[in-house]
Amino acid sequence: MIRADGASALAAPGGRHPGRTGRHADGLIFTGEMYGVQLDQLTTVLDVSHRSVGAIVAKWRTAGLAEAARLGPGPRWVWLTRAGLADCGLQYSPGVPGLARLAHLRAVTGIRLALAGTPQYAAAGAYWRSERRLRAKIGGRLGLREHVPDGEVHWPDSAPVPWAGECWAIEAELTPKTVARTVMIMQELLARTGDYGCPAAQARVLGRPPRHARVIYLCSRAALPTVARARAALGSAGARIEIRGLPDGAELPSAGTTPP
Amino acid sequence: MIGRWLSLLAAQAIIRIVAGAVTLAAALAVTVAAAPVSLVAAAALAIAWLRGWEPRRLFTAAAWCAPMVAVWLVGTARTAPTWQHVAAAPYRAWTGFWHLAATGAVPHAAATIAPVAVPLGLVAGGLAWSYRIRSLAAGAGGLSPAAAVAFDQRQWQRQARAARARIAAPGSVPLTMRNDLIGAGAVIRSVRHRGGLVAAIGYQRLRSHQVVIGTTGTGKTTLLLRLWAGFMATGLRRHAAGLGAPPLLVVLDCKGGSDARRLADRVRRVLRQAGARSTAIWPDEASLSLWSLPPRQLTSTLVDLIEHGTGSAAYYADVMEALVGLAVEAPCGPPVSAADLLARLEPGWLSMAYAAAGTAADHAMIRSASRQLADVALRFRTLFRRLGSGLDGPGGFGDADAWYCILEGTDQIAVAEGQARALVDLLASFAVRGPARREILLAVDEFSAVSRRLPIWQLYERARSLGLAVQVSAQSWQGLGTSPDERLRIAASAEGGIWLLRTPEPEPVTALAGTIRVVQTSRYLRRFPIWSHRGSSRVEEVPVADPNLIRILDVGQTAYIYRGGVTYLQVKRLVAAPAAVGGVPASPAEPPAGLRAAAAPAEVSPRVDAAPPAGVSPRVDAASPAGVSPRVDAGAGRSGADPTAVPLPDISLLLDAAFGPEHSP
Repeated sequence: MIRADGASALAAPGGRHPGRTGRHADGLIFTGEMYGVQLDQLTTVLDVSHRSVGAIVAKWRTAGLAEAARLGPGPRWVWLTRAGLADCGLQYSPGVPGLARLAHLRAVTGIRLALAGTPQYAAAGAYWRSERRLRAKIGGRLGLREHVPDGEVHWPDSAPVPWAGECWAIEAELTPKTVARTVMIMQELLARTGDYGCPAAQARVLGRPPRHARVIYLCSRAALPTVARARAALGSAGARIEIRGLPDGAELPSAGTTPP
Repeated sequence: MIGRWLSLLAAQAIIRIVAGAVTLAAALAVTVAAAPVSLVAAAALAIAWLRGWEPRRLFTAAAWCAPMVAVWLVGTARTAPTWQHVAAAPYRAWTGFWHLAATGAVPHAAATIAPVAVPLGLVAGGLAWSYRIRSLAAGAGGLSPAAAVAFDQRQWQRQARAARARIAAPGSVPLTMRNDLIGAGAVIRSVRHRGGLVAAIGYQRLRSHQVVIGTTGTGKTTLLLRLWAGFMATGLRRHAAGLGAPPLLVVLDCKGGSDARRLADRVRRVLRQAGARSTAIWPDEASLSLWSLPPRQLTSTLVDLIEHGTGSAAYYADVMEALVGLAVEAPCGPPVSAADLLARLEPGWLSMAYAAAGTAADHAMIRSASRQLADVALRFRTLFRRLGSGLDGPGGFGDADAWYCILEGTDQIAVAEGQARALVDLLASFAVRGPARREILLAVDEFSAVSRRLPIWQLYERARSLGLAVQVSAQSWQGLGTSPDERLRIAASAEGGIWLLRTPEPEPVTALAGTIRVVQTSRYLRRFPIWSHRGSSRVEEVPVADPNLIRILDVGQTAYIYRGGVTYLQVKRLVAAPAAVGGVPASPAEPPAGLRAAAAPAEVSPRVDAAPPAGVSPRVDAASPAGVSPRVDAGAGRSGADPTAVPLPDISLLLDAAFGPEHSP
């Protein structure tokens, strides 16, 4: 279901590690791209049952590719170790998902899964470029107040959809910021012309087509009014901003949820 | 009588020849007898000659042999029956060496004599090398007086080659060292400074004013990058250790253009490796707010940004200052943006603002100067259009560890001068009133572009008390200021030292290093090309920093002049992390983003422009949601309207399927 970006970089997915299917490799890459994934979301990624996903994660842990632990409310979190990231060809710094970011990470994963579940996404062969990948590309060159979206969706030029060739910035908004700050972020995303990690002079060049044709905001109920006001403050440029609620299951489960 | 005289002369000649032969034979005998020491001395002499070492280095090497000698003596003492045996150990080692050598056990023989021969040989080599250098420096050595000149040139080349080899070795010149030292490069030669392998300066020197002079292509940027990175790394380390405030580096690149942007990218990568979390590039990526200045200073800065004539034009300058003062220091608070100030330079606004709280003098001034208000507003409108939106906020120097400010001094000198003036005023204000104390280094690169209207020496004189150090770099002595007095004042205040790279006219700077007394010897010419070794010597004063040496410095070589001494060094280049591959390269025909941003400042804050005088309370506006702020508006103005003229296809179906329909808030 998920088109794993960089899947080709995975060296011999079924060869060096007998028993690991291509789908499992995709799950590993997905986990690495998203910093960490909760087991219920990994179930959707791998398209297996709750019981099977536990066994798969146990295999990953045995192979030293991943770690799993209960970091917050809801099911366990799975994240890749240094060996796992190296095995997937992902040059990211390994680390346990930060406690303060768990809700955000789950929301972004939920958004990606919801989008990937649409027939248009699959038919177009769209490509999700994760925040972790964007940040890795920037390296240490993150400029002052440079905002990195929570993800980018790239629609191939040949995709059978009217918006083929577009690049969307995805923003998951759980807690309301100030309107001013939200407006600034929107402006930055809409005005950006260069790729992340490009030289400073190419980040915003007037006359060039914007990098993000649209910005898709997926908001919690609390953040929705602020984002809507910020879009209204943008005037005509706000037409390139879409606002929707978070998909079902994207918010962190409450503490009472029974983990699988 | 004549026969006796001739016999005496002949006898004298024979005695001299015999004495010389005996001396030579004795020297040869001693050399052969002390063959191990002689060999080590010869080797040390050869290496010192080839590498251009100072004799001190050989003596230091001899001193480092002390542990070996001590261990050897202790080992000997443990087996020796009496202390006389220990005292005779060197002699026994010497005899043992010859006995072993005679039996063909050369390695064993060498090991036996090494504890004695190595230190003695190094000392002997050092003495011989020192004699050679001193005799040539005094003009007494060599076959001709020109020998000293040739010797010095060859030694310079060897020293430079050795320094280049040293910096090529990985890790040989660390950026930061113990005792807050910053490694700059490898020492080529030093005069009146302590010699050594690595040229390092203390962090406190970078906290003092410095001057860097060097023409294009001499390695000035490499040197500056190293100094900035060293300042940042050491400052952060000191801050982490609780020894000082966090560092703040502010670079004013007064050249501008695409080169400046490439350099900015390199600076950011280098500083990142040095520990800086964020490097702001102004005005391309970050902005500053001129309006954060205190009202009185804001008035002064705004008036200074506009060039005034002299004579009768001074009257208009006074009128302008009075009007700007009224607009800035209005009872409702200072302006928050350029558009806000322009809106205030209007009789209706001023009358209304001062209606309740103004004095009679204020009202009189508004009435009398109302005719000039339009002209003043016009001048400021032009000024803000030139300055661009980079100074219209939001942002402050405290937001980043380093600021790289690009001023377009090559093609827009007047703009760069104004921007530099405003940035320096902002920085001085930040140093005085900033929320947290910072150890600030202000580096002004290509200072000549803004020197006309940036009286940096004034900042020099008050900067130390503000915790602010100034580093000025220029391509030549003339670039330091418009008048000789100003140049001298800047150079003479450089307590942190002067970095002098290749430049065609180094004399004014080298003169600041002072002179040194040396012995000069004149030798009699017997018959060309034979000079006598007899002559007379006198003490003369020569410059500590040789101007002719400065003229021939190679790329990356620099002279560091400090406290009457000079160290010539080869700067170690800092290698930054590779740049990320960019997306679409910018077309060279297009102006850089910073210029474009500067081209449309009139759009700044249309909301404030449109506001009637009744909205005279910008503070209330700023706090109220409706005014959300002039800052937001200013940003919206800059970003412009929808850049895509073609309507976008509808994606509601997709989004509805994935996330559900759009909710109304």
